[in-house]
Amino acid sequence: MKKRRKNGGAVSGRSVWGLVWFRFKKNKLAMAGLFVLIFIMLAVLLAPLYVDYQAVVSQKITNRFKAPNATNWFGTDQFGRDLFARVVYGGRISLFVGLAVIMLSFVAGCILGGLAGYFGGVVDQVIMRIVDMFMAIPAILLSMAVVAALGNGTGKMLIALAVAQTPRFTRIVRSSIMGLRNQEFIEAAKCYGSSSARIIFKHLLPNGMGPVIVSTTLTLGQVIINIASLGFLGIGVASPTPEWGTILSETKAFIRYYPYLGLIPGACIALSVMAVNFIGDGLRDALDPRMKN
Amino acid sequence: MSENRPLVETRNLCKYFDTPRGQLHAVEEVNLSIKAGETLGVVGESGCGKSTLGRVILRLIPPTRGEVYYEGENILEYRGKQLKKMHVNMQMIFQDPFTSLNPRLSISNIIAEPMKVCGLVRNRREMAERVRELMEVCGLPARYVNTYPHELDGGRRQRVGLARALAVDPKFIVCDEPVSALDVSIQAQILNLLMDLQEQKGVSYLFITHDLCVVRHISHQIMVMYMGQVVEFAEKNELFKNPLHPYTKALLSAIPTIDLSRRNRERQLLRGEVANPINPKPGCRFAPRCAYAAQECLEPQTLREVAPGHKVACWRCQG
Amino acid sequence: MGNKMQKPANENLLEIRNLHVRYNTDEAVVHALNGFDLTLKRGETLGIVGETGAGKTTMALSIMRLLPKRIGEVTAGSIIYDGIDILKASANAMLKLRGKRISMIFQDPMTSLNPVQTVGSQIYEVLELHYPEMTREEKHRRVDEMLELVGIPPARKDEYPHQFSGGMKQRIVIAMALISKPELLLADEPTTALDVTIQAQILELVRELKRQFNTAMILITHDLGVVNEVCENVAIVYGGEVIERGTIEDVYVREKNHPYTEGLFGAIPDLVTDLPRLKSIPGYMVDPTNLPEGCKFADRCGFCTERCRRENPILHRLSDTHFIKCHLFEEGSNHE
Repeated sequence: MKKRRKNGGAVSGRSVWGLVWFRFKKNKLAMAGLFVLIFIMLAVLLAPLYVDYQAVVSQKITNRFKAPNATNWFGTDQFGRDLFARVVYGGRISLFVGLAVIMLSFVAGCILGGLAGYFGGVVDQVIMRIVDMFMAIPAILLSMAVVAALGNGTGKMLIALAVAQTPRFTRIVRSSIMGLRNQEFIEAAKCYGSSSARIIFKHLLPNGMGPVIVSTTLTLGQVIINIASLGFLGIGVASPTPEWGTILSETKAFIRYYPYLGLIPGACIALSVMAVNFIGDGLRDALDPRMKN
Repeated sequence: MSENRPLVETRNLCKYFDTPRGQLHAVEEVNLSIKAGETLGVVGESGCGKSTLGRVILRLIPPTRGEVYYEGENILEYRGKQLKKMHVNMQMIFQDPFTSLNPRLSISNIIAEPMKVCGLVRNRREMAERVRELMEVCGLPARYVNTYPHELDGGRRQRVGLARALAVDPKFIVCDEPVSALDVSIQAQILNLLMDLQEQKGVSYLFITHDLCVVRHISHQIMVMYMGQVVEFAEKNELFKNPLHPYTKALLSAIPTIDLSRRNRERQLLRGEVANPINPKPGCRFAPRCAYAAQECLEPQTLREVAPGHKVACWRCQG
Repeated sequence: MGNKMQKPANENLLEIRNLHVRYNTDEAVVHALNGFDLTLKRGETLGIVGETGAGKTTMALSIMRLLPKRIGEVTAGSIIYDGIDILKASANAMLKLRGKRISMIFQDPMTSLNPVQTVGSQIYEVLELHYPEMTREEKHRRVDEMLELVGIPPARKDEYPHQFSGGMKQRIVIAMALISKPELLLADEPTTALDVTIQAQILELVRELKRQFNTAMILITHDLGVVNEVCENVAIVYGGEVIERGTIEDVYVREKNHPYTEGLFGAIPDLVTDLPRLKSIPGYMVDPTNLPEGCKFADRCGFCTERCRRENPILHRLSDTHFIKCHLFEEGSNHE
């Protein structure tokens, strides 16, 4: 028989996020996803420490189409560039532009959705009708249009993708705020005179974060694919800067004879998207334990 | 301040909501006054407008018309900096201990938040001191200071809600069914705590509840509401000894009691159920369910004093 | 219908013996029932009173064998319903029992009615399930009769649940529960979500229907007053055990009570006595993830002794009908 704890009830002081982490840890698939993602992130982040950027761009025609071997781990492409170096540096763009896009659209979505959800009425109408307009256009098409209007370049692509993802966040934030704004703790906050900004940012948004965070991770996968797609279509990152989609695009003509040229960057995209999605699923279960069983 | 001036007063307070089916008269012409250190109980069934009334008084919902006075000043006219006077003097505690606390904040932060917003403390040490003091007053052991609401049960959460309301040292608290979500043994603890606080600090309560036994225990005066209107108002003992309005009588008869002698009493059952006061007719709103309804009930009924301090809105009850 | 003409071998309809149920959740093991004992005679009306977390609903779900899958687990004890061992019965046998011989009413009428089906067809469905041999006309007639009985005009049977008020919905739920003429009705806080005047109507209806159908009933509630209105017998539950059991008179006369029952009575404000303060029970409900070794109420009890901490008391007999689980009432001991 276990000894009874002193003082009766548990006084752990474990916050809500602490509890989420506790449940998340139990999900093996999600933890695997987290480790894979951390591994990929570290690998591309620390790239300058172990790969010379020269290897990414220096062409050596005599060295072309080398299958993966000891010196060129992933082989070389049609210009004789080391594919490993290109994939590792390409990941920097794919992942970090992806993260930047998510953060940008997350912040914009929180502000817009928070305003629309809290104030309702006219504010809500104006914001949501604009959002509806953007929602009607497929994200990839919208990004292409923005790139076409602003011109090529990594920074511009980032803005284009963020604009395309913001409506989704706005909607999710708005609906979760609307579900919360009539709760009694919000009335209590009004009772002691909290400002609207304080109510939105201190009371509403932190509580409405659950679905938004889940959607953040799932959207990250989407955005990585979008970046690759734009790259593949030739309107994303300009050559010779490597990026997973661009690499795929450049090598697509040779894939029949040298399949590793397509498989390796493709696998990188698939692996990171999958990792991110597993994390998203795990977070969803951890944030809302009632969904299980 | 003169002794007789009420702390909180309302005049002809009305709140109508527009619904797709018409105008819902949630609160109709309510006049009440609460003296310092006293408790006014508001009793009624769901949909009678008692919660709306409490929220209108605290300006959480704007009234359709009417006035709310605090220490003689109409708080509905407060703007900007004046509002602070209202925020530090008038507070509310809520029914549901599970939705009335922000789940992302620790207990100490929940209690500290009103003081931060109203700028009542100078530094962190003073804040921590105040939080500890409030927790002690509300019977919360200090070891809960860093816990989160989800780790506490209903009774302890309600204590946190009370500590938060007391943080600004208010003189008037609207209690919206503060014990109806709690178990009886915990309910008694909270009621006792509220009464102790009244004795020590002289706070006044507007105590909203559906439970006549609870309201009898805690109130000095009682107001019975039905479909947005006050149907009876009296001092506590007078109301229970001499209930006049048919609705009050029916309510009293409907209460299940632990009294063995009342087990086989003659029960006065009400017909039908409460309707919504949407586009109400001018007559008595209780008439459709009333056992004594007559032609006269189609006339508007006003609250009349039939005995000193005892007001009823029913033409049958003459003083 | 019931073609068991022979006299029942046992006058006890339901016998629960030493039932232990626990919930295995991610965070902790919740010991919901800890040696729960109960017997119910045919036609008896028993009120089960306890606070949140006392195990009242768990008991009802165990009888229906509706404990949440994978989480809820019966670790010991038995439930015998009219000679059938419910914990060992086949899934098929349970289907025949549930809804036909045992019905249940839940606290929230909204969740027990299907919002997209007319109320008439929902009641009809119960008959279809349990009385397939009945003709269509007869079934329709029975539905109309039942609606009439619970005070709903049969003309309204083609309406949807949202067109009825809360009290009306609870009437419909009662009609659904009683149409199969069950021998046992489990009512879990049937009036808690309703207003007092509506509660009085529903309680009157329950009293009336009981007279007509002679159904045995277990009324689960937190309200001692509600039990006084409709039940003959009462069981007080604390920490997953029955700590006091007797007729209404035994318990409500308030001469000899378990300290917890005494505390409950003291904590209720009533319409008669005038006290400056209520006598609240100190402390909080025992934590079911962290049970004490001895008496579950020891931490909150004013009469707690060293023995109470060490040893869980047994149910002591005070009279033929009145039992109390407390060391104070041990035979030969002199309390108060």
